[in-house]
Amino acid sequence: MEKNETTIYSVQLYIYDLSRGMARNLSPIMLGKQLDGIWHTAIVVYGDEFFFGGVGISSCSPGGTMLGSPDTVVELGNTEVTEEIFMDYLSSLGESTYRGDKYRLFEHNCNTFTNEVAQFLTGRKIPSYITDLPSEVLSTPFGQILRPILDSIHIAPPGGNVINGRPS
Amino acid sequence: MAESSGTDPTVDSNVVENAAKDRTMIVVTVKTPKDKEEIAILEDSSVAQFKEEISKRFNAKLDQLVLIFAGKILKDGDTLNQHGIKDGLTVHLVIKTAPKATSGSTSQNSASSSGTPQANSSSSASSPVPNASTPPGTGPAIQPPNLLSGFGDLSSLSGMGMGSANFMELQQQMQRQLMSNPEMLSQIMDNPLVQNMMSNPDLMRQMIVTNPQMQQLMERNPEISHMLNNPELMRQTMELARNPAMMQEMMRNQDRALSNLESIPGGYNALRRMYTDIQEPMFSAAREQFGNNPFSALGGNLDSGVQPSRTENREPLPNPWGPPGTAPSESRGTGSSTTTSSNGGTAPSVSSLPNPLGINASGLGNGVFSSPGMQSLMQQISENPQLMQNMLSAPYMRSMMQSLAQNPDLASQGSNPSADVSPSQQQQQLMQQMLQMFAGGAVTPEVRFQQQLDQLSAMGFLNREANLQALIATGGDINAAIERLLGSQPS
Repeated sequence: MEKNETTIYSVQLYIYDLSRGMARNLSPIMLGKQLDGIWHTAIVVYGDEFFFGGVGISSCSPGGTMLGSPDTVVELGNTEVTEEIFMDYLSSLGESTYRGDKYRLFEHNCNTFTNEVAQFLTGRKIPSYITDLPSEVLSTPFGQILRPILDSIHIAPPGGNVINGRPS
Repeated sequence: MAESSGTDPTVDSNVVENAAKDRTMIVVTVKTPKDKEEIAILEDSSVAQFKEEISKRFNAKLDQLVLIFAGKILKDGDTLNQHGIKDGLTVHLVIKTAPKATSGSTSQNSASSSGTPQANSSSSASSPVPNASTPPGTGPAIQPPNLLSGFGDLSSLSGMGMGSANFMELQQQMQRQLMSNPEMLSQIMDNPLVQNMMSNPDLMRQMIVTNPQMQQLMERNPEISHMLNNPELMRQTMELARNPAMMQEMMRNQDRALSNLESIPGGYNALRRMYTDIQEPMFSAAREQFGNNPFSALGGNLDSGVQPSRTENREPLPNPWGPPGTAPSESRGTGSSTTTSSNGGTAPSVSSLPNPLGINASGLGNGVFSSPGMQSLMQQISENPQLMQNMLSAPYMRSMMQSLAQNPDLASQGSNPSADVSPSQQQQQLMQQMLQMFAGGAVTPEVRFQQQLDQLSAMGFLNREANLQALIATGGDINAAIERLLGSQPS
């Protein structure tokens, strides 16, 4: 069997609702459309959770950030990529496109990162309702008004350790 | 084969030759974390051949290349067909740096599952000396005892607690020793090794995090971990800890900023709440706050001005949007306010409340949601969703928000701190504060403080630069700015 030497690791997507249910209740009023949540996602693989925030790429034990347990867990599939290769990959990402200062709430956020990593590990993307969220919000008048304010927000759920490719 | 020995992967002769043989070239995108290239290759190539092309294009050695497609690692002996790699698809590439060094450095910095953080930090630390500077209120964390013996000038410390095999006990003993002997603390601080170590925020953070007491604290008070994860903040904290004079200065600034609070509507309330908050133990359980619906405290309205301050009566449910720093000066830019949070306890921290989002622009909820005016607004909104929509769709709303954001004076003019302000005025001011905090980045200080600058120059402070600096430092408070300016002038 070709796979007798390769270990398979399962990859999961942890989805958190940052609004803790408020979005579901208030979004029809405030935005004029129904949003079921403000989604923050993280990738869980090799027994660790990885996510991107205002401080860069961070990791922690699964469900170990301040957000607690995820609202939803999606099985993304399996990967043959080993942890070593993955950490190399993350370091490169953390030095380039996913440095802390590259965080943009609307265009380049935790879900962007998760999507990219998911594709790297499994070839699959994350569910579209998550990646569609920014455009959903921006297409409402309220979203447009709040945009300059929201752009300055960096979401960085505490409880993780930052992965750096170089000493800071 | 022809294509692998060719110098140009897309050279025409290949295409001609292949066309003749009925083989097709496909264009595959190869993506690294930093880069992306399109590589044309024969459809039925093997992975080895593909790697040849890649190594040329990316200037990497063959054995450094790791190709991943659909979660599988492509082995040299496989073919592209076998994995379903077709025209237009993307293959991921990781270029390994020298293998051992990389894994060493990543384990040093990341908290991956390999090894305990302690093991990592002790292997990476060049100077594993007792850590004497941590956020106040916590004890120092130290490294396992066997490392202490390596350092001559700290050998006095190695005698402590060596008999104890239990790491926890060791830490506690260390703490006790330090507490009882303040001299020791300054000795430790002066040690260049310690200084060196303290200038490395990652190391510091790891050491702090591994202390189980710290972990408990972090759990209870999440912005500690937030602070720990912010290298800038760490660095500033350490600077402060190293320099007691600076720390005092910081505290003084903080106190002055605090006094400014009173002049802002809603600020008095905030001050009072802040005081009662400080009465409680510094790291009182904020945990249950987090689980609650943040609006639940709003309706209950714990801070409606009825509660007497400085009594033992503690709020059963601290208002998650409540205490410190409604003043924009608290939350805006200047590093002083963020670092004082780490000196904290007595000072309002930037995000001293459980902040599920870890949002940087803190202070949002402080004055805004806890004032009676805002609360009535929220109540009205929840009763009548139409109201919100109307409010938002009003054509002048947007321009009003913008002008509010640009006009920091609105808060300091008009109403007084006492409670009898008309709800709409208060709402406006609070909204403006909120907008101000966020829009702070979009509007330059000069524009923001235009009015104050004018006032100051009318009063005779002609040095516009200094005026601006003072205004920035005090967040637009003219009185405080004047104090500042006077303080810096020779008397």
